[in-house]
Amino acid sequence: MNMRYAISVFAALALSSCANLPGPSESEPQSVGSDNNAVVALVESARLDAAAGQFSVAASHLERALRIEPRNAALWHELARVTLNQGQPDQAAQLATKSNTFAGQNVALRASNWRLIGQARTQTGDREGAESAFDKAAQIERQR
Amino acid sequence: MRRLKLKKYLRLRTFVRAGVLLLAALAVYVLYLDVTIQTQFEGKRWALPARVYASPLELYPGKKISAAQLSEELMALNYRHGNLNEPGSYLRDRERIELITRPFAYWDGAQPALRMAVTFSGKQITGIENLDTGQSPPLARLDPLLIGGIYPAHNEDRVLVKLNEVPPALVRALITVEDRNFYEHHGVDPRGIARALWTNLRAADAVQGGSTLTQQLVKNFYLTSDRTLRRKATEAIMALLLDAHYLKDEILEAYVNEIYLGQDGNRAIHGFGLAAQYYFDRPLQQLSLSQAALLVGLVKGPSYYDPRRHPERAAARRNLVLAELAERNAIATSEYLSAKTAPLDVTVRAPMGTSPYPAFLGLVHRQLRSDYSDVDLRSEGLRIFTTLDPRTERAAEQALATRLTTLEKQRRIPAGVLEGAIVVTSTEHGEVLAMVGGRRTRYEGFNRALDAVRQIGSLIKPAVYLAALSRPSQYTLTTRLDDSPLVWKEPGITEWAPQNYDKQFHGDVELRTALAESYNVSSARLGLALGLPAVIESAHQLGIERTLPPYGSTLLGTIGLTPFEVTQMYQTLASGGFLTPLRAIREVQTPDGVPLKRYSLSVAQAVDPGATYLTVTALQQVVQSGTATGLSAFLPADLKIAGKTGTTDDLRDSWFAGFTGDKLAIVWVGRDDNQSTGLTGAAGALMVWGQMMATLDPEPLTPPMPESIELVRVDTKTGLRADSGCSDTVEIPYVRGSAPTEMAPCSGRSPVQSIKNWFRRLFER
Repeated sequence: MNMRYAISVFAALALSSCANLPGPSESEPQSVGSDNNAVVALVESARLDAAAGQFSVAASHLERALRIEPRNAALWHELARVTLNQGQPDQAAQLATKSNTFAGQNVALRASNWRLIGQARTQTGDREGAESAFDKAAQIERQR
Repeated sequence: MRRLKLKKYLRLRTFVRAGVLLLAALAVYVLYLDVTIQTQFEGKRWALPARVYASPLELYPGKKISAAQLSEELMALNYRHGNLNEPGSYLRDRERIELITRPFAYWDGAQPALRMAVTFSGKQITGIENLDTGQSPPLARLDPLLIGGIYPAHNEDRVLVKLNEVPPALVRALITVEDRNFYEHHGVDPRGIARALWTNLRAADAVQGGSTLTQQLVKNFYLTSDRTLRRKATEAIMALLLDAHYLKDEILEAYVNEIYLGQDGNRAIHGFGLAAQYYFDRPLQQLSLSQAALLVGLVKGPSYYDPRRHPERAAARRNLVLAELAERNAIATSEYLSAKTAPLDVTVRAPMGTSPYPAFLGLVHRQLRSDYSDVDLRSEGLRIFTTLDPRTERAAEQALATRLTTLEKQRRIPAGVLEGAIVVTSTEHGEVLAMVGGRRTRYEGFNRALDAVRQIGSLIKPAVYLAALSRPSQYTLTTRLDDSPLVWKEPGITEWAPQNYDKQFHGDVELRTALAESYNVSSARLGLALGLPAVIESAHQLGIERTLPPYGSTLLGTIGLTPFEVTQMYQTLASGGFLTPLRAIREVQTPDGVPLKRYSLSVAQAVDPGATYLTVTALQQVVQSGTATGLSAFLPADLKIAGKTGTTDDLRDSWFAGFTGDKLAIVWVGRDDNQSTGLTGAAGALMVWGQMMATLDPEPLTPPMPESIELVRVDTKTGLRADSGCSDTVEIPYVRGSAPTEMAPCSGRSPVQSIKNWFRRLFER
């Protein structure tokens, strides 16, 4: 019990720190939230391609997965991430917003989306907007 | 004496000069022909059409498709049934289908031929097994349907092959029948000509050509088909030059790709590579002896010996080719006997062609034109991967054709007068799944889906209601609207007094009812209260790009839009307020399989999600209890479909726009001469929509509820807050804070509560 408690405290601390420090921790793969193996396989391919810098192919895998599960919030998020890596911050932010419409009670994913929106806004030079997006992410994290 | 000598000398000199000049001229001409030959032969010889593919069918456990439906798809792809022996074949045993896919170079990588078993349980795939490895792949694609090409001038089409890809039997047959001395002569063959002359003298009509393969190639390649002596001479010189410059095999390879072998509408089939696909739907390498002999037989007259139209002539000609081969010991007697008795084995339909889906192809061409020049599209052999879903397309075509015929019969409309158009897309991605441009779907003509600009009538109303619901402090779904007579005066415009379709006025109506019943008067009054600029702005946000005139009548849809434009507008509602540009193309690849371009999914939040959610809820009520209840004849109520009917003055246009959880479709029915059809949106377009969607097994529509929305139970009669004391209630979504605070009279706490509420409201102001 104690061990578990320690771990969750550590995890919470780690999460709260990354809420303020958007960066590499964001690229940690999250669960795809699907019991469809086809979708899982496509996301795995997409992650491999993205890791190899093949963002366009990665995006095509994710779009293929989205055709199977159009309302899977995690897929929209992955696509937003790849799009950000492709250097299209505006579109990435839109995709993250779209992801949020399907995210429901998935607080972690909603926070991730807001952080991604924050990163995208930072890239476009919208500092104020980025700040408010990060705040929003932190606020959602606190709901956990 | 000297003078005479001089004269003689001068005359001689003139002769010599003339001779030299003549020789020089000839040399120049030969040189010119030589240059012509070399530049054409060595430069790019053929313009290759862009090839357009439908979306490949994805197979994975959980996919909604029955064994019968997959069989149908396989048949559409010209898979052979019965033997599992080559790519493109399948076997079905009730709930199990074994198949071998054809190898295909997809945009994201090649997929080899897969031998696999697919098992089903009713309407679903339950498992996929790779029969070679025994493993269960998570998903696999079926090679996509080729739906057409964008052809070069003269509509020449071909699939280039290398000589070593041509079956040796075909080459042997070709040389035996067309040019026996091909490997010996120098481009022209005097012996062949003599033999041909002799044979032709004996027979009444010309049987043998006597032209070498080289001459035939020259003729096809460089010359017109007129039969003058001069052309014959030029042909001979060019054949000699070609033979002198190039290896026999190079000439043969060019011939194999150039030769004309059939006609598919206005598309010309050139070369054996394409002919193998066109007649047998097989790669050239896989042709049997009898199939190769059939193709060689076609060289003489592709239309006369057309195996689809004249199977007996084609069989006789094939057997003649086989006999010739056997006679010259090029094949064994046993081979001859079995090939001679083999069936023609030509596929019933040509696998592709002048597209079976010209309307969709028109859209593809239009979208490509913004990125590629027409010349490149018609010559570079690009491979275009599109979003077309053949199953949806078939359903749409069938529904339109059969429904219009039924409507004409029922309503005593002269047959063939009604026309229509359909666009179907996927709700979240904006991919165009199907497009029908008219009743005669195979004919490339006026594409009504893209080009018919028609008044949209009540289809505009969601823009009005969206503008209203974007102001939650003023308007909710239960706000009362005034549907009493209205006269509108604007300077410079004649007085405008909108009427309802039933010519009645309905007094005080709830906003959601006014939309569900498509009341014109209350909608117009609502639009005028919001102000035309606000409504027009909302229409533009939804994706209408056309300029809309700022007149009152715009509120009732006296504006003209194409079905495609209407689709874009409803797409935004169907995807939760995100403007999602409609796409027909996913990717473009070079002929060698190198990825060129991807058309990525893009979204942009254009409308407030809360207001969108409320508008969609109202559109669901249209189907549930409003003008579109007719859909219940086709589709169950629990799909919670959202839709809107549209009817224009004098019943000229009948529209239905609607979406389910996965598909959006717009149907227009009307007449090309813009006369009355006698059909409302519900009587015409809705019927087509319902019939089509019923065959597509759509997903229920349950839009995710935005954070800004809450559900509040209200009394149906008064639209006020209800509690357990009320018997007739309904749950209505409201933007938080905009729901009625006042309790309905039926509620237990009502009298005291309302006084309290009254005080509270007083103090809160």
